[in-house]
Amino acid sequence: MDAKDILGLPKNTLPLPQEKKPRAQKDAQRKRDGISREVYALTGGLAPIMPAIDVSELKKRPPSDEKITWQWLPFSNSARKDNLQLYHWVRVVNGIPPTGDYSFAKYNKSVEVVKYTDEEYEKYLKDASWTKEETDQLFDLCERFDLRFIVIADRFPSARTVEELKERYYRVSRAIVAARGSISRESSGNTPAKDPYNVSQEIERKRALSMVLSQTKQQERKDAEVLAEAKKITEARKAERVAEESELPVTSNAVPEVTERVVVPGDNVPSISNVQPPPPAAVPSTVVADNASTLASLRMLPVYLRTYALEQMVQAASSSAGLRTIKRVEQTLQDLSVNLKPRVPTKAVCAEHLELRKEILTLLNLQKQLQNKEAEGSSFRDSPYTEAPGTPKDRTFIADSVSFGGERFGKRDQKRKATGRLSEAPSSPAQSKRPRKQKGSDL
Amino acid sequence: MSGRKQGEAPADEGGSGPSGNKPPRIKISKSSEGSDAKNASRKLKDMEICVPIVCGTIAFYLGRKASESQSHKWTVYVRGATNEDLGVVIKRVVFQLHPSFNNPTRVIESPPFELSESGWGEFEIAITLFFHSDVCDKQLDLFHHLKLYPEDESGPQTTKKPVVVESYNEIVFPDPSEIFFSRVQNHPAVVVPRLPAGFNLPNPASIENMAEREKGDTKDHSLSQWFLNFSEADELLKLAAARQQVQAHIVKLRRQLSVMDGLPQFSKPTAGYEFTS
Repeated sequence: MDAKDILGLPKNTLPLPQEKKPRAQKDAQRKRDGISREVYALTGGLAPIMPAIDVSELKKRPPSDEKITWQWLPFSNSARKDNLQLYHWVRVVNGIPPTGDYSFAKYNKSVEVVKYTDEEYEKYLKDASWTKEETDQLFDLCERFDLRFIVIADRFPSARTVEELKERYYRVSRAIVAARGSISRESSGNTPAKDPYNVSQEIERKRALSMVLSQTKQQERKDAEVLAEAKKITEARKAERVAEESELPVTSNAVPEVTERVVVPGDNVPSISNVQPPPPAAVPSTVVADNASTLASLRMLPVYLRTYALEQMVQAASSSAGLRTIKRVEQTLQDLSVNLKPRVPTKAVCAEHLELRKEILTLLNLQKQLQNKEAEGSSFRDSPYTEAPGTPKDRTFIADSVSFGGERFGKRDQKRKATGRLSEAPSSPAQSKRPRKQKGSDL
Repeated sequence: MSGRKQGEAPADEGGSGPSGNKPPRIKISKSSEGSDAKNASRKLKDMEICVPIVCGTIAFYLGRKASESQSHKWTVYVRGATNEDLGVVIKRVVFQLHPSFNNPTRVIESPPFELSESGWGEFEIAITLFFHSDVCDKQLDLFHHLKLYPEDESGPQTTKKPVVVESYNEIVFPDPSEIFFSRVQNHPAVVVPRLPAGFNLPNPASIENMAEREKGDTKDHSLSQWFLNFSEADELLKLAAARQQVQAHIVKLRRQLSVMDGLPQFSKPTAGYEFTS
């Protein structure tokens, strides 16, 4: 099926252009005359970026016997019916002005609208919902506006939808063409004759289109989420099926994510408790191991900075998490108005900071679990537009964290302290004299 | 110069340092160990000594005296977090300035470890700390960005208020040598863990003696009014509040999850997600 099929054209015209192509390419590859060898070597025989005029064209002089003048001459446009005379500049060779029609007249195309007689109308075109006057009006407008049905519907005196107008027009055209017989055979490519206009499909198409176009961003996002969840579930089920077919027990540690999501509200309870426990058990043990190994590698150093140690520990703790999760942890830290890097990284502060990060990871894990559950639930309820309870939770968390952190430990607090420090320290004149002395001894 | 001597004296194994209180100390340490050299290399396992430091820059705008190439006078320094003398641990500090300065590698051999210069541009200063031989034979690299221009564009620069950028950090020495430990045990610049019971270490150098020698501290430093405060308690309080909040949310989420499942026993396996340590 290709464009030709759709248009109902014969297929045998295809080979011709294909034959032509290779030859044209060969021509392009050959070095053009007039380009110096060096310049040609630079481009490596590639097609020039600028459209090049063939050099032979440039060097061609008009034949010496041709005398070209430009003249301001009148012309008439055959596409016009009013015989309006206008003037334009014309290239005149040897004093003979060009003959023939105005060169733009051929673009004045108009649609051929079928005409019917009163007799034909009585015979074939009677319709309970359309009067003859209305049909006449429609065909008048169709001719006037070249089948631009939106305009026609706008001008149409009685309230008819675009679809109704189209349907009436195409049905009448079809009926006439069919009745006249001989013409229908001639114009087999005539579309209304071949493919009847389908009103209901058209109405449905427009409805669907307007629905898609009028969707809000939020709905789109939700749709994408639901689709992603659905994909996950189908994949998980596929994996489960594969596992069942091979009759081998799934090693839950190897695919914890997949097996976890197999759990669907529709499933029976025992399968949930069978599948769920292994992943949680697996996660903390690796984290602890990471911590221990990081500590051990730090101990190997003769000296290090506390901030370096913290960086290493943070990295180790989040090694199992994805980049997005790490970003979300940092976002949450900011929402809690906690510095990503502690300002006073003492041992205790670093330990607390690490604990906080781990707890946030746990929190995010739980949120994800909850969201998965809700997504699974909602996808089975078959209502993608219901407000997913997963998102608002996020929001409330941020909201009250801001109110908490912002009020008591936010920037205001820091600022107050900073100004307090500045005013606290008295600038005695004795102190301000010292730098010059010390500088001398320093250098 | 006295600061340097004070720092190195206990590390000297030849015993050529000031002889005030040294001989009796060596005697005590010898009672358990064979030789002095062995004593120096002995490591205290599972212990760490840490030295809280602050490195920073203070930059004054020169105002009317400013020229095209010298608009600011600035000082870069490494100080003890509580302005104690760092000479007890640090032997020498090397500041690596921008290559456009004359002799861009500046070595400060004694506390206070600071360097004043004037210029017009901000750049990253590489700071290398060298320690006394009994402390650690490896050096430590720090980086500090020199800031001359205030962040908020609140009016013109003033000559009164400098631009101060300081960052707190801690130098950590895991498994320190015994001799280092005993030398700095009571020094205010150093945070030393409590010794486990049964450990017998030589007496620390008397504090009065230390205080007398201390000239390298930055307590009455000319710039001390601009030094920032670094409060561990504030930081801990903030973190504790944040943790409390996160924990509350975890509890809430767990409850929601178990409600969704409608299984009371399900809340148990999820508890395994907590990263207990």
